[in-house]
Amino acid sequence: MATLADLKISEVKLSEEQTGKWGMVIDQDICTGCQACVAACAMENNISFVGEEDSGYGRSMHWIRIERFWEGEYPEVKMTPNQPILCQQCGSAPCEPVCPVFATVHSQAEQLNLQVYNRCVGTRYCANNCPYQVRSFNWRDYERPEPLPNQLNPDVTVRRRGVMEKCTFCIQRIQKAQDQAKGEGREVVDGEFTTACAQACPASAITFGRVDDPESLVSRLTEQNYGVKHLEELGTLPRVTYFKGG
Amino acid sequence: MAVFADLEPAADAIEHLRSIGVHDDCMNVISGIPVTEAMLGRPSQWTNVPRIALGGAALGFLGGFFLAYVTPYLYPYPIQVGTQAFVPGPPTVVVLFELTMLGMLLATFLGVFLDSLFPNYRPMKYVPEVSDGKIAILIECSVMDEKKLTDALNKLGAESVQQAEAQHL
Amino acid sequence: MSEKKNHAEHAHGEEHLREKHLMLDPLPRGQMNEMVMESMQTTSWKFWVVFAILSVIVAYGLFYSWGVMIAEGLGVAGVNRPAYWGIFLVNTVFWIGISHAGTFISAILRVFKAEFRRPFTRAAELMTTFGLVQAGFSIFMHMGRVWLSYWLMPYPNQRMLWPNLHSPLTWDLLAITTYLLSSTMYLFLPLIPDVAMARDRSTGWRKTFYKILALGFRGTEGEWTHLRNAMGIFAWAIIPVMFSVHTIVSWDFAAATRPGWNSTIFGPYFVVGALHSGMGAVVMVLAIVRGTMKNMKYFIRPEHFDAISKLMLIISMAWAYFFFNDYMVQWYGGDKWTKQLMHFQEAGPMGWMWFAMLIFNIAIPWAVLWNARWRATPWIVFIVGLLINVGMWFERYIIIPVSLSINRMPFTWRLYEPGIEIPLGIGTLAFFILLYMAASRLIPLVPVWEVQEGQMAHELKKYGRETVVSVSELE
Repeated sequence: MATLADLKISEVKLSEEQTGKWGMVIDQDICTGCQACVAACAMENNISFVGEEDSGYGRSMHWIRIERFWEGEYPEVKMTPNQPILCQQCGSAPCEPVCPVFATVHSQAEQLNLQVYNRCVGTRYCANNCPYQVRSFNWRDYERPEPLPNQLNPDVTVRRRGVMEKCTFCIQRIQKAQDQAKGEGREVVDGEFTTACAQACPASAITFGRVDDPESLVSRLTEQNYGVKHLEELGTLPRVTYFKGG
Repeated sequence: MAVFADLEPAADAIEHLRSIGVHDDCMNVISGIPVTEAMLGRPSQWTNVPRIALGGAALGFLGGFFLAYVTPYLYPYPIQVGTQAFVPGPPTVVVLFELTMLGMLLATFLGVFLDSLFPNYRPMKYVPEVSDGKIAILIECSVMDEKKLTDALNKLGAESVQQAEAQHL
Repeated sequence: MSEKKNHAEHAHGEEHLREKHLMLDPLPRGQMNEMVMESMQTTSWKFWVVFAILSVIVAYGLFYSWGVMIAEGLGVAGVNRPAYWGIFLVNTVFWIGISHAGTFISAILRVFKAEFRRPFTRAAELMTTFGLVQAGFSIFMHMGRVWLSYWLMPYPNQRMLWPNLHSPLTWDLLAITTYLLSSTMYLFLPLIPDVAMARDRSTGWRKTFYKILALGFRGTEGEWTHLRNAMGIFAWAIIPVMFSVHTIVSWDFAAATRPGWNSTIFGPYFVVGALHSGMGAVVMVLAIVRGTMKNMKYFIRPEHFDAISKLMLIISMAWAYFFFNDYMVQWYGGDKWTKQLMHFQEAGPMGWMWFAMLIFNIAIPWAVLWNARWRATPWIVFIVGLLINVGMWFERYIIIPVSLSINRMPFTWRLYEPGIEIPLGIGTLAFFILLYMAASRLIPLVPVWEVQEGQMAHELKKYGRETVVSVSELE
């Protein structure tokens, strides 16, 4: 794996054919809408508790949300598959060019969209430009009454007001697994670790792994060709494939 | 210094002064509105402001060039945002344009200061009537016959002819 | 008998022309100077009452509320998902729009040698500078961590991190800084001779103030040449800067992927919109200045309102043209999201605003400003200008928070309800008026030297039996 120092300017790859490195498959047909992934993500990533009023006003800070839609009027209501939406880690992310201070940039090593909390000045242009609307802004400093701070994950920063945040594909877990594997002189094995949401899902609707490795579970699932990528007509090159209605 | 109330007598006076041998360089016209030199039969004034403006535009362009082409490479590794080119085309045009204009306009402004030697708070030869619309002709070289000159100017319609004193404005 | 009648008619005609046109009604320069100095130094008790009220509004609405927002976070404002931008951005665009009118009048009208601009170029240019100050406030307000806003500026630092030139917000910073500096310089240059005049005619602290500002200007040939040369360069150069500024502001929206925002016509649409609201604001300011300041009735006459109103009508037509372009193309070939957005704009909870925008921006100007007598009536034009400004504020509200409510993820659609933005917005308005009131008593509002220059160039000529106004080119 190339370290930062190895990357030369000529190696900046900008081709649109990139499939990326880390990806996900989410099976909407299996998703029960239980929100275990939401809870697990909040625990793993030190997400603040916003409260009912602010949340109702559209200020929830869930990095992954379950979107539910229905057709028809009561009592003939037909539920359509639940839709877990999280940051798609776009290969051509619209949120990246618009940040004036380079607070959201593309990681060439991990092929992820990074959010740099300590650089963000809170212009919120990135959130406006995200077609999936997956970015969360810290509208206030939300309280964590005792003993909640004991639950905080030491691997993840705690963000303050005025800073944008979003799903990182649990980059802290990615780094930890890669560090461990490097220490042991081997590559990371598929399934050795996974994101918090994938780990928590009781229906195993979320699968996470290396999409550039054809042997990984994620790649084998994607090959089955009935997945869709949301809003891919916008050219965002999302890394998450959704199985729906199949 | 001779103060005139109107354009015509002032122009006549300048002609007369020239005929008695006062060189154009020795004369200076101070007025409350810009009377062009042509109206008074005076040679055109030289100004450096356009050249300073161009110089400023060049500096601004260089500044924009630096921002657009140099700063992306200053960070230890290339920062990739979206799939836009590393030095993007259209944004570079915007940056170059804005900074060129800024440089040009700042330089024009400073050029006025430089050329006119602003700010100048030393005592200067002036009469406050000038800002009331009068036209003053300041003769700076020594003239042979001051009395004759004063008489001639008075006959031509000067409101007042007096020794110019440098005073605090 | 007929000769006498003709003569009487001529005298009456000439008298009428003189009354109507400032340029044909010259007074001795000394008297005009006296009038301007008097208008500056006369303040009634009403002035101070308004000044005090505005100061209180500014202290509470601008400074205290902003302090609360910095301490609490943007949660006290009304922004949410998906409307991450709200009234702060609306106000920013609004104030930058107002500032464009000043440049239009002092630069474009100068370039086109429209003589009627002469008495109010400075009044308009002051609007530019103060409007940009309010725009600056509004844009800093909307930032989550405003205390780190200096990171947007290009400066060498230990991390070697420079601003992101891909971002329209960086272009915004460069463009608005250029525009603010340029328009302030352009305000100051023609001010120098007038401040010199004020220096010659005042005593005490005013004299010291003007002496410092006048930089030792006397009016020598050299000084005038440099000044006029520079003003010429400024007038020509600031026009493309003005166009570029609001175009770049429009690209904050047009460069985004949102339905309704990603429109290629935003550039010229916003520039024309800026001129529209700006001209409306200029007539409002002129009507107030003429009505409340001493001696201004000599300088600012119904003919000026007539001329500006004609411009307002033309710009209103241009705005309607660009609006219809944008609307028609979206309506015709729009995808499902754009269609949803348009339906929400017109028939949603804020639909009244959309209709009000069209009535105030198009219907009322077109209904009123065609009539020459109404155009020359200051209070009528004031109301039209006020309604245009309200309509244009509505237009920006529709474009920003209302359009942001609709996006490609229907689960996130939500209405925007303003919170602390309201006192903050009112605070910027009060600050604008406050700054203007202070400036009107500190610097001469009318560029007397330009007025005299114009009066020198105008004369009545007889073509056969007709008396005509004729303007000579003094340059």
